[in-house]
Amino acid sequence: MSDEPTRGAAPDHELDPVIHAQARLRVMVALSVLREGDRLAFPRLQELLGMTAGNLSIHLRKLEEAGYVEVVKTHQGRTPTTLIGLTRRGRLAFEEYTAAVKALLSLTEEE
Amino acid sequence: MVDEDPDERPPASPEETLRLIEAARAAAQRDMQPDPRLTYMPWGVAWLVGFGLLFLRFGPGGRVLVEMPNWVPLVVLYVLLTGAFVLSALSGIRAARHVRGVSSVQGLRYGLSWAAGFAGVVVIASRYSARLPDPEVVLLWSGLSLAVVGLLYIAGAAIWQARDMFVLGLWITLVNIGGFLAGPGWHALATSLAGGGGMLVGGFVEWLRWRRGQC
Repeated sequence: MSDEPTRGAAPDHELDPVIHAQARLRVMVALSVLREGDRLAFPRLQELLGMTAGNLSIHLRKLEEAGYVEVVKTHQGRTPTTLIGLTRRGRLAFEEYTAAVKALLSLTEEE
Repeated sequence: MVDEDPDERPPASPEETLRLIEAARAAAQRDMQPDPRLTYMPWGVAWLVGFGLLFLRFGPGGRVLVEMPNWVPLVVLYVLLTGAFVLSALSGIRAARHVRGVSSVQGLRYGLSWAAGFAGVVVIASRYSARLPDPEVVLLWSGLSLAVVGLLYIAGAAIWQARDMFVLGLWITLVNIGGFLAGPGWHALATSLAGGGGMLVGGFVEWLRWRRGQC
């Protein structure tokens, strides 16, 4: 860290790599808006983010593997529904990520 | 390489990251909260116009300020209230669609509390309607209804931690009590201008917040 060659550039390696990618960051933000204990159905999340189903699935799987997102498959009447929500760990990771970004910003502003 | 995928690319700078977070948060908030122009303002218009006509037809001291058949203000009020109900219910349902969990239970129970409140109003007010003169009947129905509305706005503000909603509920309660004590006619005027006006102002303030995604 001390031999950072370009001062002022974001030291990306300090930020959670699972969240620090545009698509997954947007997924995390959208889910963080939900109240704790709420889940969003897959089609609504897809519509909200404007992503293809395949693409969204790939990113959700990565977030799920990190333990940030919970994907619950259930039935509503006869139709299968996939519900998605942040885990407590995911909520915490997102808060830490946002705090880290803000800390970086105040660092670069001080220079 | 995963890095070739634009989705995997991190935002260019911390500034860019924060901007992306804020924009995405605002968009999601707007999508998941109903538009206040559809939830507050139709009620404001209904009260302003409907109670305004009631005041003109059933003025203070039994005066008729503007000649019109008895049923005109009531029918206009009911039509506008029904329209407001449909608009706000649809936009609420739309915002809550595909969301499951704590807030769907809260929303359902809160919706039922309105039905419970108005069931009480209808039963109580119906019993006395036939025995009272017209201006008192109008006062009875609107006084009881506004008491329920004010109370449920305050209760809703407690559920959703919504400050504007709390202020509006308190305001409606005060307007109702003040107007009721002043008597028939005055109550309709207060409900029209202060109540309906308050709803329109409250809706506008909420809309400014909603537009910025800060609801």
